[in-house]
Amino acid sequence: MTHRNRPWVRLVVGIILAAALVFFLFPVVWMFLTTFKTQDQIFTTPPVLVPPAEQWNLNNYIAALTQSGGLQALRDSLIVSGSTALISVVVGSLAAYSLARYRTGGDQFAFWILSTRMFPPVASAIPLFLIFRDLKLLDTHWALIIANSIFTLPFAIWLLKGFIEDLPPELEESALIDGASAFQAFWHVTRPLIGPGVVTATLFTFVFTWNEFMFALLLTKNRVRPLTVMISSLAGGHEILWAQIAASGVIAIIPGVLLVVFLQRYIVRGLTMGALKY
Amino acid sequence: MATIPRTDNWFLRRLNVQRRHWKAALLFVLPAFVMLLSITIYPLIRTLTLSFTKLELAVSPRETFVGLDNFVRVLTGDARFWNAMGNTAFLVVVGVALQVVLGMVLALLASEMRRGRTVWVTLFLIPIMIAPVVSGFQFRVIFNDTFGPLNYIIRQLSAGLISPPAWTATSGTALLTILITDLWQWTPFMMLLILAGLESQSQEIIEAARVDGASYWQTLWRVRIPLLLPVLIIGVLIRVMDTFKTFDLVVLLTAGGPGSSSETIAYYTYLNGFKFFSMGYTAAMAFIQLIVIIVVSRVFLSIQKRQRGAD
Repeated sequence: MTHRNRPWVRLVVGIILAAALVFFLFPVVWMFLTTFKTQDQIFTTPPVLVPPAEQWNLNNYIAALTQSGGLQALRDSLIVSGSTALISVVVGSLAAYSLARYRTGGDQFAFWILSTRMFPPVASAIPLFLIFRDLKLLDTHWALIIANSIFTLPFAIWLLKGFIEDLPPELEESALIDGASAFQAFWHVTRPLIGPGVVTATLFTFVFTWNEFMFALLLTKNRVRPLTVMISSLAGGHEILWAQIAASGVIAIIPGVLLVVFLQRYIVRGLTMGALKY
Repeated sequence: MATIPRTDNWFLRRLNVQRRHWKAALLFVLPAFVMLLSITIYPLIRTLTLSFTKLELAVSPRETFVGLDNFVRVLTGDARFWNAMGNTAFLVVVGVALQVVLGMVLALLASEMRRGRTVWVTLFLIPIMIAPVVSGFQFRVIFNDTFGPLNYIIRQLSAGLISPPAWTATSGTALLTILITDLWQWTPFMMLLILAGLESQSQEIIEAARVDGASYWQTLWRVRIPLLLPVLIIGVLIRVMDTFKTFDLVVLLTAGGPGSSSETIAYYTYLNGFKFFSMGYTAAMAFIQLIVIIVVSRVFLSIQKRQRGAD
């Protein structure tokens, strides 16, 4: 707004934005500070804002990982999220290529894929629970990988379809004329060019699965226990170890924060499944 | 000049002649198709067949056909279902509306500030990608009545005159804590969406309105917000869909209580299925939600279509 560059306008705007930023960051900062507190310091009035310097150590993180089953939870979350992301992006990119270039199945098919995203997870949880029980898949990594794919696979297809449609088809066309097979054209021409799309789709599907809670709660018991389930069960226990849960929380938000920092350009595109390409 | 037509049709015609690419087209899409068929269509059918049966897993694994009985019981005899629907509607309508309004204000303010943009936009975005389980935990600490920072601040500011309630354990405020946590998490999403939309607007149209003597507010209401509508529709649709599924925050903040005052429909469905193990009844309830979601998304898509037609 060129004509509204009066200094006091900028000052007021700056102050309001700063206040908003405090509101949006305070819970995260408070959680981070909590990880350095002792159990007593959590209950004192006035609350301890910044714990004393000598307490700035990793004790609560180590306790969260070793005593509360955090290491296993971290492993489970990594396996489930990594596999889900890998499967969704590999299967999804092939399907996206087919939809973008050959219009396979037409608009109807594309919209059917999109509509599966709207499926309320609680509606899929009941049949999946019964199916997995019969297949003896309950409480395994596979149960969560399959369940999460309900959302991540359509997500990857739609996002990558948009990225492929952005490329001019002439590139593959010339490869095809030179005698490449359709798969070779996809693999050698398209795949390297949609690198940003692949990275975006991988990180988003990873974080969605990493953050997912309902399937993780309903389809596992004790052999598999992702981070979100661990945090919720610790927070629902009788003696609540606030600092340890906070430490688990800080560990749990790392992938999401990395996504925001490194993929800022593609956040809108990712969150709207490619509907908006800013 | 011989320009190559770049329409899809031309491309399609070229490829359709070569039969082997049709095979490739189907082969590429096959794995995804089979996967989606087995993880979405099959469960959908299973939910539907289940909803016509009585299956009490806590009692016996036998399914008995009961016709539409489950649907009738959910819709006419279950006050708790309607309570949960009402709570969910509150979160969807009030929550998303507040997110849009606050997001709009923040985006308009942010569009005035250019210095250090990347850094502080990144900071604003952090809540979006935090697991709702973790944000639920954060706010459970903040809202805690004895040691939470919120009540401490309220007591200090009012010099002890106001004794703030136990936010998550009071029936008047429990649902509100879920709304506020959701607001915290998703207002930045709306802000980012609107900011991106504002910046892609043609400066010429805005300048033209200015030259014609329109004030800042007139330009905003008559030109910039109407131009934003497509973005707003998509943003609201996404938020409405996701808020309808609110579950994690309920578990972490209130467990639906006190009583059932903060139960959302996803949480009540979960209770029926995985605490009471009434699978047939739950399936009927889940199916009703699916119908609601389909109807709501149809409405949005038709609004979008009409809006596009108007351009």
